[in-house]
Amino acid sequence: MQMVKKFFILLLVLWFALLLFMPKQALYYKLEEFLLKNEIKINEKSIEEGLFSLTLYESKVYVKGIKLGTVEKIEFFTLLFYTQVELHTLLLDESLKNMAPTEIDELKLTHAIWNPLNISLDSQGLFGNVSGYVSLVEPHIRLDFNETKSIETFKGSLKQDEKGWFYETTF
Amino acid sequence: MKQLFKPYIFKNILMFLALLFVIKLVWFLIAWLWLPSGGIEHVGQKSRKALYYRVKLTPNESAVPTKPKKEPQRQRGSINDIVLLAIYDTKDITVITVKHKGKTKVISRGDKISGFILEGAGINIARFTKNSKSYEVKLFKDKNKHQNISKSTLQNAPSSTSNKVEKIVGEVVDAGDRKIIDRSLLEHYAENMDDIYKNIGIGELKQDGNLKGFQITFVRKDSPFAKLGVQRGDIIKSINGQEINSYNAAFGVYKNIGSLDNMTLVIQRKNEEMELEYEIN
Repeated sequence: MQMVKKFFILLLVLWFALLLFMPKQALYYKLEEFLLKNEIKINEKSIEEGLFSLTLYESKVYVKGIKLGTVEKIEFFTLLFYTQVELHTLLLDESLKNMAPTEIDELKLTHAIWNPLNISLDSQGLFGNVSGYVSLVEPHIRLDFNETKSIETFKGSLKQDEKGWFYETTF
Repeated sequence: MKQLFKPYIFKNILMFLALLFVIKLVWFLIAWLWLPSGGIEHVGQKSRKALYYRVKLTPNESAVPTKPKKEPQRQRGSINDIVLLAIYDTKDITVITVKHKGKTKVISRGDKISGFILEGAGINIARFTKNSKSYEVKLFKDKNKHQNISKSTLQNAPSSTSNKVEKIVGEVVDAGDRKIIDRSLLEHYAENMDDIYKNIGIGELKQDGNLKGFQITFVRKDSPFAKLGVQRGDIIKSINGQEINSYNAAFGVYKNIGSLDNMTLVIQRKNEEMELEYEIN
């Protein structure tokens, strides 16, 4: 019993130390390198490292050199077995208004070890509430618009079934 | 002497600190060996504006300068010599393309051809006057229906019975040396990007793995894009002086396309560079 207790304490210390000493900023730069291969760039004004998190302020997102939008705050939070990325006040370029909502108050992406093949997605904005998932196996995205507020401008890119309006694509 | 700490507690604290040190060391080595020390900054292209526009065709903003022509004292000719190829007629402007004695000419309202003065146009006719007499020339219809003729709106339509506001579909009218694009057509494509890719395919042109420009991969027959005069294989070099060598440059043009009054598209077809002129009305 003593051995098991010791093992768990050791595991806890190991896990805590891993998170505590994790070079979060350097890992974020590595993520930037990976995104660059897919022609995505994030230009942030400042970076703040927390105990378990990393926060980017006033980020501009570019895809293939095109500025898609700005995000006031991006928060990365991880416990290793549970990771969450939260985007606050996402403003997309006006020219994308026919494809997506141009103002998103909050977008939350969550990956957990108990659902390793999917990233769940929740979003809130003028369009109401959106929930969905990104399947990492297929790969496939589905977003369900739970409310149909202010979706007229980008309805053209949505589909409809018995549950309501949804967006679906593969990548 | 009384011991302050029991030896096993001291040993455990040492173990704990050693573990922290090892993990810190591991992370340090990972960061040193594999992780970058700095981020990637986006260096945007400076938004370059065209130094000049080759043509300024907007009818409402300024008068098109015309060179004084020496008119012949007496002009002879028959109205039958004039073949009407295309009409563009709005409230403010009437432009027609005619074929006269084997030559194609573009004339606007008030211009003379063989002594016949263009007075106006209808849906498929052009009205001329000569020596106080009126003449009408009907639109020539090719067997192959190769003409791009339409009226963009029915505002000038003579029929007073049609008060209905017709939906502007938008057309591309061939005016000889340039093509006239209906603004509603442009606005439609600006709003519906998907419709662009149904009619025209544009692929990346890479050199040594770097994007050098864009090449047209297909143009759907009878689509407005086919009427623009572009063909499969054409390389888009520039639009209104802006080099199209990046997505950013292409998107910049796409974003501002609604506010353009005229457009100069430079393409490379095989080894020849060509300039296509468009008026947006």
